[in-house]
Amino acid sequence: MYLSSFTFIVLILPVMLSAYYLIPVKWKNGFLLCCSILVYGWGNPFRLLYPLACIFYDYGIGLLLERMQKRKRLSVAILAFSALVQIASMTMLRAMVQGRTGFLFPFGIAVYMLQGLGYLIGIYRRRHMASVKFVNVALYVFMFPIVYAGPLITYLEYEEQLSKRPCNIIQLSSGLELFVRGLAEKVILADTFGYIFRELRQTGQMSMLTAWLTTLSFSMYIYFELLGYSEMARGLGKCFGFQFPKNFSHPFFTSSITAFLQSWNITLLLWFQTNFRYFLFSRFEKKWQKYGFLILTWALIGAWYGIEIQFMLWGICMGILLSIEQIAGLDRLFMEENARKKRYVFGLIYTAILQQFSFVLLFADNLTEAGAIWKSMLSFGNGIADQTGFYFFTSYIALLLLGLYVATDLFQNITERISVTPIGQKLAECKPLVHGLLFLFCLASMLYGERMTELWLKI
Amino acid sequence: MKQNKIHYRMVITILAIYIAIIAGTIRSYDKTAPIHPTMQSLINGTWAEQTENYLQEHIGFHDVLFRIKSNTDLFIGEKMVQGVYITDDMLLEKLYSDDIPAPSESAEPVNEFYEDTGIPTYFILVPSASEIYRTKLPANAINAEQKNRIQQIYMETVNGIHCVDAYNILSSLKDNYIYYRTDTRWTCCGAYYVYQSAIQKMGFTPVSFQKYVISHMSTEFRGNLYEKTLYHEVRADVLDRYRNESGAQITSVIAYDANGQAENRGNRLYDTSALTTNNQYQYYLGKPCQKLVIRTNIDNGKKLLVYKDSFADCVIPFLVHHYHEICIINLEQTGMDFTTSADTAGYTHALFLCSMSNWENLIQ
Repeated sequence: MYLSSFTFIVLILPVMLSAYYLIPVKWKNGFLLCCSILVYGWGNPFRLLYPLACIFYDYGIGLLLERMQKRKRLSVAILAFSALVQIASMTMLRAMVQGRTGFLFPFGIAVYMLQGLGYLIGIYRRRHMASVKFVNVALYVFMFPIVYAGPLITYLEYEEQLSKRPCNIIQLSSGLELFVRGLAEKVILADTFGYIFRELRQTGQMSMLTAWLTTLSFSMYIYFELLGYSEMARGLGKCFGFQFPKNFSHPFFTSSITAFLQSWNITLLLWFQTNFRYFLFSRFEKKWQKYGFLILTWALIGAWYGIEIQFMLWGICMGILLSIEQIAGLDRLFMEENARKKRYVFGLIYTAILQQFSFVLLFADNLTEAGAIWKSMLSFGNGIADQTGFYFFTSYIALLLLGLYVATDLFQNITERISVTPIGQKLAECKPLVHGLLFLFCLASMLYGERMTELWLKI
Repeated sequence: MKQNKIHYRMVITILAIYIAIIAGTIRSYDKTAPIHPTMQSLINGTWAEQTENYLQEHIGFHDVLFRIKSNTDLFIGEKMVQGVYITDDMLLEKLYSDDIPAPSESAEPVNEFYEDTGIPTYFILVPSASEIYRTKLPANAINAEQKNRIQQIYMETVNGIHCVDAYNILSSLKDNYIYYRTDTRWTCCGAYYVYQSAIQKMGFTPVSFQKYVISHMSTEFRGNLYEKTLYHEVRADVLDRYRNESGAQITSVIAYDANGQAENRGNRLYDTSALTTNNQYQYYLGKPCQKLVIRTNIDNGKKLLVYKDSFADCVIPFLVHHYHEICIINLEQTGMDFTTSADTAGYTHALFLCSMSNWENLIQ
C-alpha cells in the first residue's frame, strides 16, 4: 500500500495512530512491526516473503558475525558472502519486476537491502552489537514509512530510539505537520509533474521548449516524489516518536554539482560514505585512486536507483563531474560566500544546465533516445517551440514556478526574516489552519489525476 | 505554553477533518459496491484495488473536494479536467493519439462480416464532438485527429460495404445543436441528419423533418462529461423526443442479457423512468442489454441487424419506421465477436454504427 493512498490515509492511519497512543509502552515496538507487515503486505501477502526472508537472514548473520568477531578473516568472508547474496537477490528481483506491476513483487527492495547491509557492516566494525531482540532488527530493516524511499538511518542512532522515545502531543503535532507537507509534495506537485512529464514524453519530435520542459518536469517529479515520501516517512516517524534525519535539502539552485549532490538524497550518500568508503578509501593514497574510487561509488549509487544501464551511467557522469570540480576547485570557487556575484551566478547556471542534462539519462529508455533529447535541447532542428510544449507551458507555468519555489532555497531568507517579526509570529499561529486546508487539498488532489507509481517498482 | 497551544490546535484540526471525512464516507456507504472480500481477491490484490477505487469515488464530501481540485486546476491555467477540455459553452473530450490501430485493422471486422454473411452492409463511424468543434478547443490543445482516420478506414472496406460520411454531414451542420454540451454523444438532431443520408443509401425515403413533432423530455440532462468533471458552468442539455404520429407502431420490444435471458419490455421503446435517474440518456433504449429485438407493424418483411454503441440509441427511433424487425447488438457488451452474438440469417440489411473513439477502443 502506498502512503499516498486513500486506504492508508483514511482507513489505516487514524486507527493506527490512536491504537499506538493507547497501548502500553512495552507493546509499541511489536505493534509497529505488525503495522509494517500489514501496510507492506496489504492486498498481496506474498509480497512479504522476500522482506521477511531478508529480516531473518540479517538477524541470523548478525548474531553469527558477533560470535566470529575474533576470527577476522572468517567474519570478512561471512560479511562479503551475505552482501553478495543480498545484492544478487535484489538484482534478480528487480530484473523480474521490470515491465510488470504489483503482484508478487515487493517494492523498496533497495532501501531495506541497504538498511540490512548497514546493520551487518556496523556489527563487523564493532560500532554496535548484534541485537538479540528480533523485533529490533525487524523494525530497523523494515519499518514501513522508510521502506519506500528512506531516509536511511544508522542502527546506532536507531537502537537508542527503539528503547526510549518520547510519545506526546508535541511529537504527534509536528509529525502530522511534516506528514501533511510530505503528502502535499507528493500528491500536488510530484503527481502533476509526473503527468506533465508523461504527456510531453509522448511527443515524437521534440522542439527545444518541449525537450527542456520534459527534463524539467521529470527532475521536479523525481525530486518531489522522493522528497514527499521521505518527508511523509519522517512525519510518521515523528508521530511514533522517532527522529529521522533529513533526506533532501533544496538541491536545486546550487552553485556547483558538488553542492547539488551533497543535498540530494543525503542519507544515501552518507550510507555509502560510512559503510562503503570505510573498506576501501583508507587504502587509497594516490590522487587518481581517490577519484577513481569516487566515480565507482557514484556508479554504485546510480545502480542503486535502478537496474537499467543508464542509472549507472548517470552515477558515473556524476562521479566524473565531481572529480573535475574537486580537481579544479570549482565547488569552492563558485560558493556564495567566496565568490563574487558574477561568478556565483555563473555557477548557478552551469549547475542547472548540467543537472538537467544528467536527468535525461534517468528517464530515457536507451542512449539513442537520450541522445535525441539532448540534441533537441541544444539545437533548433525541430523548432524552438511546438504545440505540445506551448500548451503545457501556458497551462502549467504557475505550477512550475511554485515547484521551483519549493525546490530551491531562494526565498528561504525572506521567510526566515518574516518569521521573527510580530506579523510572522501571528502567522505562525495560523499554522494549524493552513495545514488543515493543505490536508483537505491533498485529499482533493487524490480524487483524480495521475497516480504515479512507476518509480516504486524500480527502487 | 503558546507553543503547546499551537500543537493542540494542529492535532484538533486534523482530527476534526478526519471525523468529518470518515463520517461522510460512512453516511454515503454504498452497499452495492463490490468491496466484499473473498479469499481470492484478498490474495491477488484485487480487493485492495477495489477498496481504494471505492474510497476514491465515495469518500465523504467527494463532490466538494472534487470541485476544489478542479477549480484550482482551472484557476492556475489548466484547461482540462480528467481528460475533458472545458470551454465556455461545451465540454469536449480529449482524443488521444497513442495506440491507434491501423486503418486496415479497424476495417477488418466489418469486411469479415460482409464476406461471411453477404448481407448488404452499411458502416457509419461518427466523429467525436471535439473533432467537429476543433475550433472551440483551448489554444494549442493537443487533440488527435479523426477526420482523415475515418476516411482511411472507409477506404479499407471491401466493395459492397456502403460507408456513410458522417463527418461531412455533421460539420456542415456545426451551428446546430447536434452534440450535447455535457455528453460525448450526439443529439437526436445530429442523429437525424446522418439517418437521413444513411436510409437513402439503404433504399428508403427518409421521413421528412417536418413530420416530426419534437418534445423536450428533459431540460436538465447532464451527461457523462459532466459526471467526469462536475463542471456546472456549462448549460444543461435538452433531451428530445421525435414523434412521428403517422409512422410505424412498435408491437414488441424484447431485451436479452448476456446469458440469453429474455425480458419482454412490452411495446414501449422509450424508458420514461430513466428521466428521473442520473443516467437520463437511457431514456432512448432503456437499460443497456446485450441484444434488443424490436418489432413493428410494418409489413414489408424487412429485417435490420444493427451493431452499435450508445451513439446509436437515438438513431433507432428513426429506423423503426422502415423495418419490420430490428435486432440490435450492443458492441460495448459483446466486443467485436459477431459470430456468436446473433444468428445472421434472414436479415435484409446490416448496419454498423459506432463512434470513432469507441470503435478504435473496441478494436484494441
